[in-house]
Amino acid sequence: MMARNEGGSPILSQQLLLGVAEELKLPLLQIARQAEQGRLTGQTDLRLIQETADGALRLLDNYALGVRLALDPEHLALESVSVSSVLYNTGQQLDALAKNYGVELELNIAGRFGPVLAHRQGLEAALVSLGAALIEGLPAQDSPQLKLQLATHRSRYGIVAGLYADTKQLSSQALQSGRRLQRRSRQPLVNLSHTSGAGVFVADTILKAMDLHLVASRHHRLYGLGTVLQPNNQLHLV
Amino acid sequence: MADILLIEPDRLLADTYLQALAMAGHSVGVCVGAQAAIMVADQTKPDLVVLELQLTSHSGIEFLYEFRSYPEWQKIPVVVQSHVPVTEFADSWDLLNKELGVVAYLYKPQTSLDKLVKTVNQQLAVKA
Repeated sequence: MMARNEGGSPILSQQLLLGVAEELKLPLLQIARQAEQGRLTGQTDLRLIQETADGALRLLDNYALGVRLALDPEHLALESVSVSSVLYNTGQQLDALAKNYGVELELNIAGRFGPVLAHRQGLEAALVSLGAALIEGLPAQDSPQLKLQLATHRSRYGIVAGLYADTKQLSSQALQSGRRLQRRSRQPLVNLSHTSGAGVFVADTILKAMDLHLVASRHHRLYGLGTVLQPNNQLHLV
Repeated sequence: MADILLIEPDRLLADTYLQALAMAGHSVGVCVGAQAAIMVADQTKPDLVVLELQLTSHSGIEFLYEFRSYPEWQKIPVVVQSHVPVTEFADSWDLLNKELGVVAYLYKPQTSLDKLVKTVNQQLAVKA
């Protein structure tokens, strides 16, 4: 089944591209300084360098996927997707980054949720981009240890899948003001990230290309960002 | 040896800078945000501050205004090491330099560990 991207997507906007370029400076800088440190001390943490490079490549891949989804609806083949398995795969992809940043990543997929109709690769890419941005940004808020939960739950609007933490910074207000400031500020998500927050906007863009929305959400007294998915009732009955 | 307060929001970079400064014989306190940095400054009485301007919530500029509002911290040199190019402060360099006491400005992508350590040592020598 195909879905068509409605116009108005900022996917090719120079702002998003600029944000991704600014964001990529961070992993490249980390690699450069780690390599320099290795040269000075004779001890190079090749695992850390590899994981840092992998993270940068993932951001580029996700950005490119967003562009492809928006430009070519042929790529938007929807399928029946298990949200739990998407969250599990997202957790696997974020695991190394979370460990490097001292973030405790939890998977909360308790409960039975039927399949949803979605573009699996796009959904995973959006959640990974979002998660990476939060892992890199949120610990910079003086909290000793950040716990980030990948979770899914039912709401009156559908099945919500997202990332949650015990911080009020993950709010609808932060998201809205970030979207407004994206065009004008080098740090649009000032309460969420010290960088351009490109991962959040890449997630936003991928979700928009799939006719979904990045929204703020509450779950078990935690605050989070995620997306609302519609159950695939037809398949559920089968 | 000097006490350095390093305000760096990225934890991986902070570790790298900390090790480089420690190898140069300095004692380094690290903060990822401005609020904690004020508290740590109060406890550690740093000889010099290395500051990123792009911080989460409160910016480095806000930190500088707060930091300089305390009489005992007005003479402590601040080295800015930032992702923001200094050219963006072309019109306000006097404010940074003369009013907020920024003694050196390093553009992070072009600053090696060696250059950071040299700049810190130079500024400590000037202060002494």
